[in-house]
Amino acid sequence: MYGIDFNKLRFLVCDDNAHMRRILRTLLHSFGAREVYEAEDGATALEMYSHYVPDIVITDWAMPIFDGIELAQMIRQPDSKGNPFAPIIMLTGHSEKRRVTVARDAGVTEFLAKPISAKGLYQRILNVVVSPRPFIKTKNYFGPDRRRNTNNAYIGPERRGTKEPDVIPQPSLLDKARSPG
Amino acid sequence: MAKDKPPELKVETFADHHVITQPNPLRKVMRLVDEKNFEDPVARAEKALAGLSDEFATWMAIECDRLAAAHATILKDGFTPAARDELFRAAHDIKGDAATFGYPLAGAAAESLCRIIEHAPDIDRVPAALIAHHINAIQAIVREHAGLGFEAVAKELHRKLRGVADEYLTVVNRDRPEHLDAILAPSIVPVD
Repeated sequence: MYGIDFNKLRFLVCDDNAHMRRILRTLLHSFGAREVYEAEDGATALEMYSHYVPDIVITDWAMPIFDGIELAQMIRQPDSKGNPFAPIIMLTGHSEKRRVTVARDAGVTEFLAKPISAKGLYQRILNVVVSPRPFIKTKNYFGPDRRRNTNNAYIGPERRGTKEPDVIPQPSLLDKARSPG
Repeated sequence: MAKDKPPELKVETFADHHVITQPNPLRKVMRLVDEKNFEDPVARAEKALAGLSDEFATWMAIECDRLAAAHATILKDGFTPAARDELFRAAHDIKGDAATFGYPLAGAAAESLCRIIEHAPDIDRVPAALIAHHINAIQAIVREHAGLGFEAVAKELHRKLRGVADEYLTVVNRDRPEHLDAILAPSIVPVD
């Protein structure tokens, strides 16, 4: 089985509720994480995201200034100077189907409904570390592949044929930051 | 970990989209572990969470005070957008946190209040008593939490409140099918 060296991971936690941040910090530290940065709103989280370059973002949905969905959309800018690929785990009291779809379409990687559990959080972190999904870029979406499963019963047109992939070098974040514009 | 050089991307191009794959940037933190000698991080985290539990009653009281303050602002100034948002966020936080703090029925009552705020077509026309009863119920459930036999009372209180709220929402949304669908649909998120 796989384990995770949490002490090598850097987390950014964004929640406007101080009690929930304390719970998240406690859980992550007890998993073994050392670097846990905290923000209480989306705008601060975005600044910290650029500054600390976290490996994994855990964010609430409902927050003042701008919310977790807007934060995800800002991170998932394919041409931004920052890293647009970081896994985003949305931890929220919203659990309706419509909300899950909105989060998915904003580029959220994993969805975890409150009330939080140690098992649920660990499982989502394990998923993003062990089984990262490819990213999809369309005219109006950039984020993890929204297809999680192969549906053998699917009978519509297949938009993804087989061909050799192009390989492009990815500039380092430092190079991106130094480049003008 | 975060300072490592990013790996090369592979891009497959199709008619209307690209599929971008990169070697797993977090692979360095993965390790194969022997199940026999594996110290379960989930058990360790649950123990740490239990260590916080002495503070949960105080935290819950703070959340209830915030809800009451938001309601008091509305009674004084009406449903301004800021006041509505604060009432929703206060209820929404209780909905999300209360079960973790050991007050699941307070969370359930808060969820009912969130649904009213979210799905009522005109928040100013929601009967004031419906909102007040929810807030009073949440406070009572938290205050009387340890009382003998109160759980049965709290369950019944929540059942009745939820019934009245759902009936109200169904009537006022009869011409808004997208809201009716959301009101009547069960949650799709699996419970861990």
